[in-house]
Amino acid sequence: MDNTPIIKTTALNYYFNKQQKTLDDINLQVEKGSIYGFLGPNGAGKTTTLRLLLGLLKKQHGSIEIFGKEFDDHRIKSLKKIGSLIEQPSLYGHLTAMENLKIYCKIYGARKERIDQVLQLVGLEGTGKKKAKQFSLGMKQRLSIAIALLHNPDLLILDEPTNGLDPNGIIETRELIRKLNRENGVTIIVSSHILAEVERMATHVGIIHKGKLLFQGTLPELQNLKNKQTFIQIDTSDNDAALKLLSAEYSAEDKNGYVVLPFKEKRVTASINRKLVEQNIDVYLLQPQQNDLEQLFIDITSNNN
Amino acid sequence: MSFIISTQAELLKTKRTASFWLSVIGSAFIPTLLFIALFTNPDTAKNLAKDPWTKFFNMGWQILSVFFLPMYIILNSTLITQIEFKNNTWKQVFASPQSLANIFFSKFFTIHLMILFCFLLFNIFMILAAVIGNLINSKYTFLDRSIDWEMLLKLNFKTYISILGISAIQYWLSLRFKNFIAPVGIGLALVVVSIIALNYHWEHINKYPYSFPALTFDSIRKQSRYFIEIHEWNSVGYFLFFILLGFLDMKLRKEKG
Repeated sequence: MDNTPIIKTTALNYYFNKQQKTLDDINLQVEKGSIYGFLGPNGAGKTTTLRLLLGLLKKQHGSIEIFGKEFDDHRIKSLKKIGSLIEQPSLYGHLTAMENLKIYCKIYGARKERIDQVLQLVGLEGTGKKKAKQFSLGMKQRLSIAIALLHNPDLLILDEPTNGLDPNGIIETRELIRKLNRENGVTIIVSSHILAEVERMATHVGIIHKGKLLFQGTLPELQNLKNKQTFIQIDTSDNDAALKLLSAEYSAEDKNGYVVLPFKEKRVTASINRKLVEQNIDVYLLQPQQNDLEQLFIDITSNNN
Repeated sequence: MSFIISTQAELLKTKRTASFWLSVIGSAFIPTLLFIALFTNPDTAKNLAKDPWTKFFNMGWQILSVFFLPMYIILNSTLITQIEFKNNTWKQVFASPQSLANIFFSKFFTIHLMILFCFLLFNIFMILAAVIGNLINSKYTFLDRSIDWEMLLKLNFKTYISILGISAIQYWLSLRFKNFIAPVGIGLALVVVSIIALNYHWEHINKYPYSFPALTFDSIRKQSRYFIEIHEWNSVGYFLFFILLGFLDMKLRKEKG
C-alpha cells in the first residue's frame, strides 16, 4: 500500500492583513482512507485552510501537497480527483437539480448515468422541474454534496456540511459520509465546530484554534489526551494529610501548594470529597481545571450553533 | 477541447436567465417600434419610397447604435457574470478542474455568443417587421425590392467590431464588482457622456469606445472609403488591452470565489 498522505501541508501560514496571522504553521496530514475531522470554533481558520487546499486563496508561505504532488504545479489534475463543498451551497438557483448536475457533469467529464446515481444517493431524485432556489436549505446542501460526488472523487473536502440542517439531515449526512468512506474508500476531510459530531464520524482529528493546529491524531489518541489534560485542584485545611490520603489511589501530587490529581469522571470527584470530609479535613476548594486545550473543548462542545 | 467544454458548461448556465431574455426582447424592441411607425407615421411611406430596405435599416441601426446597443452590451456582460455572483458559485467554478484562462475566456466567449445571437435576431426581426408591414399595407415597396445584403453584412460586421472595446471594458468591470449596480451604473454614465460628446462633435470622439457603434453607423451612412475606420482599430486596441487587464486582474487576485 502506498502510504503517502492524501493531503500534506507544511508550515502553512496565511495573513489576511499584516497585523493578524490567520493561519500559523499548519502542518496537516490526512491519511488515505481516513475521515479527517477538522475541528475548531468559528473563526479559527478552518475555512481559510480548506480554501487554500482548493486554490481558492493564493498560498503565501509553506507548501501544500495533494495526492503526493505540489498542488500549485498540478492544480487541474488534482482538482479532477477532488469533490468540494465550501461554506454555503453553490447552486444555480434558476436551474433544476438535474440541470445543475449537467453543468458539472460536462466540466468533470463524468458519465451521464452518474447524474441519476448521485441524485438517488442524496435522495433528490423526485425534484423534477423544481428550481434549486425553491429548495429547502437541507435539499440545497444535499444537492451540493451530489455535485461534489458526481465524478467519483478520491478526496472529498466538506466545509461544515451539516450546517443549518435539521437533526435528521445531520444524521443522514453523517451516514452518507461514513458510507462513502467505507464502501468507496473516499478520503474525506470534513470541518466542524462541534466536537460531538466529529467524534461520531471521524477516524482522525485535527483541532485548530486561533490559526494554530493544537492537536492532530487518531480519535483514540484524542480521547486519551482529553483525559490527561483535565485535573482536579484541591485546597484543604491540611493539604499534607490530604496528599497522603489521595496519592496512592488517585496519583495525587503537590503543585504550587495545591493538591492536584487527574480528572476522570464526576463521580470520582464526589468520592474524593467524601473521603476528605470523613478524615476531618475541611475542603476549601475542589474544582476540575482545564488547560487551554480543554477550555477549547468546552468552547467547541458548548457552542452548538 | 477543454475550452469548448467550458463554453458548453457556460451556455448551460444561461438557460432561462435574464441575459437570454434580454437578448430576445432587446432585439425585438426597435423592430417593433419601427413596425408601429410604419402605420402611425404618415411620412414613413414617403421616406421609404426610394431604396426602402436601406432606409429602413438605417432607421433601425441609428436608434440601435447610439444608445441601445451600448446599453445591451453593458447589461448583458453584467447579467452573465452575475449568474455566478448571485448564486455564490464562483468558488465552485474555481475549485473545478478548469484552467483560469478557460474560466475567463469561456465566459467572455459566451457573452459574445449571446451578442451575436442578439445581432442575428435583430436582423431577422427587422426584415420580418418590413415584410409583415408590407403584407398588411401594400403602399410599401419592400417586397418589390431586394435587400442590399452586402451593405447589411458590412453594417453587422463593422458594428460588431465597434463594440469589442466596450464589451472588454464592461466584462472587466462586471468581474471587478460583486454587485449589479456598479458596472451598469458606470457603463450608463459612460454612455451618457458618449451621447453628449456625439452631439458636440468632440474632436477626440474616435478614441472614446462608447461612441464607436455610432461612429461606425455614421461612416457607413456616409459611405466612407475605408473598410476599417480608425475608431474600429481603436476598438480592437481597447479590446486587447482590457481583456488582458481583466484576465491578469482575475489571475492575480488573492481571493477567488
